[in-house]
Amino acid sequence: MASRREERIPHWILHAVLVVMVLVAVYPLLWVISIALSGGQSLALASLPADPGKLDLLRAVIPWPERFSAANFTAVFRDQPFGRWMLNSVIVSAATTVLGVFLASTAAYAFSRFRFPGRRAGMMSFLVSQMFPGTLMLIPLYIIIVTWLGLGSTRTGLVLMYATTAIPFCVWMLKGYFDTIPRELEEAAIIEGAGPARVFWTVVVPLAKPAIAITALFSFMTAWNEFILAATFMDKEEMYTAPVGLRFFVGGFSQQWGYFAAGSIIVSIPVVVLFLYLQKYLVSGLTAGSVKG
Amino acid sequence: MTRPASHWPRALAALAAGLAVAVALSWAWLRAASAGGYEERARAEAVGAVTRLAKAVEQAGAEGDAARAALSAWQADQPAGTVGRLVIVSGARLEGSTDPRDVGERAAPRRLLRDEKWAYDQAQRLRGIVLENAEQGFARAEVEVERLEGRYALGAPVRKDGAVVGAVEVDRPAKPPPAAPGVPAALAAVALPLLALLPLRRAAARRGPALAAALVLYAAGVGGFAAWALRLAGGGGEGVRALGLSAAVGLALVLFVALGGAARARAALVRHRVAYAYAIPAMLGMLVLVFFPFLYGVVLSFTGQTLYNTSAPLTEIWVGLQNYVEILRTFAFRMPDGSPSFYWTLAFNVIWTVTNVSIGVSVGLVLALILNTKGLAFRPIYRVLLILPWAMPNYITALIWRGMFHRQFGVVNYARMLFGLEPLSWFDETFTSYLTALATNGWLSFPFMMVVSLGALQSIPADLYEAARVDGASRWQQFKAITLPSLKPALVPAVILSVVWTFNMFNIIFLVTGGDPSGTTEILITQAYKYAFQQYRYGYAAAYSTVIFLILLAYGVFQNRVTRATEGI
Repeated sequence: MASRREERIPHWILHAVLVVMVLVAVYPLLWVISIALSGGQSLALASLPADPGKLDLLRAVIPWPERFSAANFTAVFRDQPFGRWMLNSVIVSAATTVLGVFLASTAAYAFSRFRFPGRRAGMMSFLVSQMFPGTLMLIPLYIIIVTWLGLGSTRTGLVLMYATTAIPFCVWMLKGYFDTIPRELEEAAIIEGAGPARVFWTVVVPLAKPAIAITALFSFMTAWNEFILAATFMDKEEMYTAPVGLRFFVGGFSQQWGYFAAGSIIVSIPVVVLFLYLQKYLVSGLTAGSVKG
Repeated sequence: MTRPASHWPRALAALAAGLAVAVALSWAWLRAASAGGYEERARAEAVGAVTRLAKAVEQAGAEGDAARAALSAWQADQPAGTVGRLVIVSGARLEGSTDPRDVGERAAPRRLLRDEKWAYDQAQRLRGIVLENAEQGFARAEVEVERLEGRYALGAPVRKDGAVVGAVEVDRPAKPPPAAPGVPAALAAVALPLLALLPLRRAAARRGPALAAALVLYAAGVGGFAAWALRLAGGGGEGVRALGLSAAVGLALVLFVALGGAARARAALVRHRVAYAYAIPAMLGMLVLVFFPFLYGVVLSFTGQTLYNTSAPLTEIWVGLQNYVEILRTFAFRMPDGSPSFYWTLAFNVIWTVTNVSIGVSVGLVLALILNTKGLAFRPIYRVLLILPWAMPNYITALIWRGMFHRQFGVVNYARMLFGLEPLSWFDETFTSYLTALATNGWLSFPFMMVVSLGALQSIPADLYEAARVDGASRWQQFKAITLPSLKPALVPAVILSVVWTFNMFNIIFLVTGGDPSGTTEILITQAYKYAFQQYRYGYAAAYSTVIFLILLAYGVFQNRVTRATEGI
């Protein structure tokens, strides 16, 4: 019989693995921070002599700027229209959140509480719509938004598209939550004479606050991080959103890596904080939705 | 017992709805066609006329009586009011003319007059263009077309022994576009059949006769309108197609209303009005900005639409299944146009997905197992730091990694040099280019699997392991018998999700490799984007995207089966 002692892996090996993985995970972020703080536009962390020795190379790999300067952070706002782009992103994301949450919560309530013809088809169509390739939609969307509605290069156009594309995920998530709210509470309100609208706004919505908060944050992040639609629809430079603007710094022949790095950090901080705060809810929402599918 | 309700009102409503829709649709369609497409065709016809004249004159030797005979032979087939002139550059001669004013003193052949200098200039200009095209390999148009008020002025070079000796110049009246049916005709086509149905109240009370009457009168109304429209337009292929399509739409509506579908839909709407009121804002948004664009995209996939014919009606650029055939026909590595073939891209896409998901699952699982070790110090700190890659917006991640793989200034190449290796041009080889995208996506996707696995691991009750230990199970046996089965319900959906995400991971491929070298590292979705927005082949890109959708749909159906099967266990 084998020994009853556990064949345990020593903790220092686990720590070693974790430290290596943390370095891998954090390195690109440190890299972008060092470039932002270097004050220059160069992609390299250190300027090297023509025939670099090992030490020079080491200096070029370690994410620590040669000198520190906040010049990039001030310059993106002063010399570049980055402030304007951030403002566009903030407006678009906030409007998307409000509209998206309104549309998703009402629809989710209908799907959760009522049995009506088309209910199953509606839920299924939401699922199937997640498989529509974006490239198939882009041209027709362009025709609808730009040619028919005249909303090219406007924030309204982007908000409409973002809010509708976020609907299916939000509806599935909210419906799952509404299903867990006992009906007795609503029935009590109805007996007291409240109409359907009152019941929804004063009973259901307050009870579903946590789920609605998650939905709101998800909509916000969708809009905040979206790149392709914004790049396709926003032709005018002053209407760029932050993602399009960041790409503008380093896309094509432009190589302003310092601006890009500083801008990336400014754009990322709010979503990273939100994300770390939220991620456990997001995971349960994602996996729950797909299991039910 | 009450008498069953008469079907006559329903037949009337069905007929009215169907006729109104069909006639309105075809009326609008014909209007649009007579305004837009007509001009293009008329222009092409005028160019054809001047080209034929140039050919005929050249065959007749370009000069002399034979050329003049060719000119008048050509004139016979032209619409009244057309004028043709043959100008010879050497000696500034008017060699022939069908202009009614060029008679008597002005009769050709003669020297060009002072006020006819423009004709000489045009011949010279055309000669210059032909020479330039031949010398420098340009392909500028060798026919001059000018659209003037009510007519076309055209010019084409005339060659003799390979050299341009002159030009034919044509003045051709532009016919006004064919008339489309007016509003009265459309109203009559709707109203007359309805009037005919009015006196049939008795005869069409029962279901069968009511339906038959509605159908017959519908056919009469739409048919009459179509006949009238075709007579006005003088025939034409796409007119028939447009009328046929709108007639089909109207017919569907007639049947829907007459067979009671509309009544049932209305009843449901009224009965469930609260539910529909809640669902409608979202459904309307989805309908307009998701489902309609999808259907429109599918329709586009059957056309040859490009950037240059977006204003043409879809019926005119209809190509049927040609796009699909073109995409699926090429089995070689490259398409005839130089982009990688569909099958190459699909294979690359599958490899890309499988490798990424395997890396994500294995790295994530190992990290989750380590982080789940009891008594390990600093666990919360490790956890937060390891989630960071997932929290970053992925387009920023992609641009950062693209910078780190830079040939000259990238950190990765410096690190290679530090270990005595040569720096690499990462994006010049398919394999290394693929590695850059794999590194980027692997980096940003392992935290998701880690978080999912960790959540599942933490929900396994500790007494299970306790019991296993008491029974003398080894660590590996515990892992197989307890850990893996408990992970499955969380991991299976996570894998399914991440397969779909990775399969369509547009940002990473588009921003990191951009398909380099020469499109070999495109995945399907980025390739479709390039067809649409770099080559402007909208119809083709739509067909390509539809194929992607079918692949995803097949995968969705398949995974639904699999999850059902695993849930059953």
